[in-house]
Amino acid sequence: MNCCLCDQQLRFVPSWRGIFLYEVPEIACRACKNEFAKISLTGCKFCSKEGGLICEDCRYWEEHGYCEVIESGKSLYGYNEAMKDWFHQYKFLKDVLLAQVFAKELREALAHERAMVVPIPLNKEKLHERSFSQVDQLLLSADIPFQHLLEKCGETLGTKNRQERMATQQLFRLNGEAVPKQLLLVDDLYTTGTTMRQAAKTLKEAGAVSIRTLTLIRA
Amino acid sequence: MQAIEAFLRGRIWIKQFVPFPEEQIQEVIDKGDATIVSGISANGECARCLENSKEYVIPFECATCGKVCRYCRKCIRMGRISSCTQLVLWRAPSIPHARPRDFGWQGHLTPQQENASKAISESIRKNEHHLLYAVCGAGKTEILFLPIHEALQNGLRICVAAPRTDVILELSPRFQQAFPDAAIHTLYGNSPEQTDYGEIVLATTHQLYRFQEAFDLLFVDEADAFPYSLDQSLERAVKKAVKPFAPIVYISATPSKTLQKQIITHSKIFRRYHGAPLPVPTYQALWNYERHIRKGKIPAALKNWIENRLKRKQPFLLFFPTIELINQAAPLLKEIEQTIEAVHSEDAERKEKVMQLRAGKLAGLATSTILERGITIPHLQVAVIGSCHRVFDRAALIQIAGRVGRSGKDPTGEIVFFHNGITGQMDAARADILFYNKEGES
Repeated sequence: MNCCLCDQQLRFVPSWRGIFLYEVPEIACRACKNEFAKISLTGCKFCSKEGGLICEDCRYWEEHGYCEVIESGKSLYGYNEAMKDWFHQYKFLKDVLLAQVFAKELREALAHERAMVVPIPLNKEKLHERSFSQVDQLLLSADIPFQHLLEKCGETLGTKNRQERMATQQLFRLNGEAVPKQLLLVDDLYTTGTTMRQAAKTLKEAGAVSIRTLTLIRA
Repeated sequence: MQAIEAFLRGRIWIKQFVPFPEEQIQEVIDKGDATIVSGISANGECARCLENSKEYVIPFECATCGKVCRYCRKCIRMGRISSCTQLVLWRAPSIPHARPRDFGWQGHLTPQQENASKAISESIRKNEHHLLYAVCGAGKTEILFLPIHEALQNGLRICVAAPRTDVILELSPRFQQAFPDAAIHTLYGNSPEQTDYGEIVLATTHQLYRFQEAFDLLFVDEADAFPYSLDQSLERAVKKAVKPFAPIVYISATPSKTLQKQIITHSKIFRRYHGAPLPVPTYQALWNYERHIRKGKIPAALKNWIENRLKRKQPFLLFFPTIELINQAAPLLKEIEQTIEAVHSEDAERKEKVMQLRAGKLAGLATSTILERGITIPHLQVAVIGSCHRVFDRAALIQIAGRVGRSGKDPTGEIVFFHNGITGQMDAARADILFYNKEGES
């Protein structure tokens, strides 16, 4: 089998862990995986952005009506060239298989999660057009159980600039499922935090008590 | 020809991306002129690139059709194709009509070139495949002009496929000049879309996936790796793009033995167009070159060679086996001379750097095998560092040696194999070059 990113032959690397425990199979080679930049634990407590304890964007949210809707948050990777390429091929060229590239890391991050895992949804037309939901697919590949609680209203953020994004009102509505107290929201890419803040606010108003977030990439 | 026919004829295209209104597409389908095929066939083969291995044709839960679909990863960069993707294919046959066409090429051919040119025309008339076995610098493109002009006058649709974008971009202006009244399309990754009918299509081999039974005549340039290339899909692409029984002309300086056996009619040119023999490689030992470079030192023998070139103001290429080694050597080379640059396949400024070398703004270039073909620079001198490495096989070494002495004004030059032990491939390359020179004399 070849690496799904560089198409060079994959070498199987045995490990003790792999012998005794279940490991999600790797489909990308080490060299390609090393190109992605993991985010260390320091940084903004809401979005892992490098720098102080609370980044500028998150401070804005905290001061403008979204105070404490999110308890804490984490992003796994930075948005470097390798990640941009991966993201483009996965989301826009629709290479579904690439969800597996981060299956192991997502599994490590989520395997012992007690809270209900809630993916950020796509709207129906987008889903039909793209043929798969990129967030669901990441979780499916990592074998993490999840539950949808939200539905996307009409607007999408993709084509908006920064100011427009942060001024957007009401992106989500509830889909009718019961909302538990503890939640973990999952998304693919964190840009300004608009998506997460809006989703968290909608859920908080519906009775959620503690909401944390996890995103694969911090732009 | 109707605009939609001009676009669709010979192409295999995702319906959604056909640049015509939905009703118009439906109309030609209803008339039976065009047909719809499923992107991935029931037995899991991609209709565009004919990939059928499970490693590249991947099943997934499709939200578009609500079923389990398969999609092809092999040709995904041309827009993803899955089982529920509809492809449009033109079906109505065409009748070629002959008429006189302009010919803007005025050069003249050497006797050997002329013989080859006639032999190719003959093969095309007989509908036979042909192999043009010609050394680097034999003037292969000029040989093709007359046969192509004849085919054009007979109303045939012609394609010239080459593996590299650089080569296609170089061919394009020469063809525009030689065939001024022909519709010429130039296709490579991310080339601007051309929606009319191309009579002559210059395409990278990958772009052939976009065609099906389109061409009456196909030239495969640099067909060294045929028939069993590393990437078998390219061979499938060639077979799919031509009409059944259409002649294919393979062109190579280093054809494989199998190809030489498979194709019955050959024409051979072992002499360069300017008549001088090919420069013969010399060997020079460069023991443990990798360790020296890793430790931050350019070995003395190589340093000497470079300084000699600098003294004589000769442009030079240094071929390295790996990108890693280039990156290690680049700063060391800069210490010798500021204007030695490095390029590799992922370098966006590759083209500019080659131009600068040609213009004399750079003293030399360190490169991976990416520049082994298609580069013509007067007075060029070449060194292969680590010619014993496995990336430098016979064909690659012959191609690299072929960069030297290409211009008639200065048909000589140095080609040195710096090695860490002489390999069979090096000897084979040298023996072949000596053989060409001997044959070329007679």
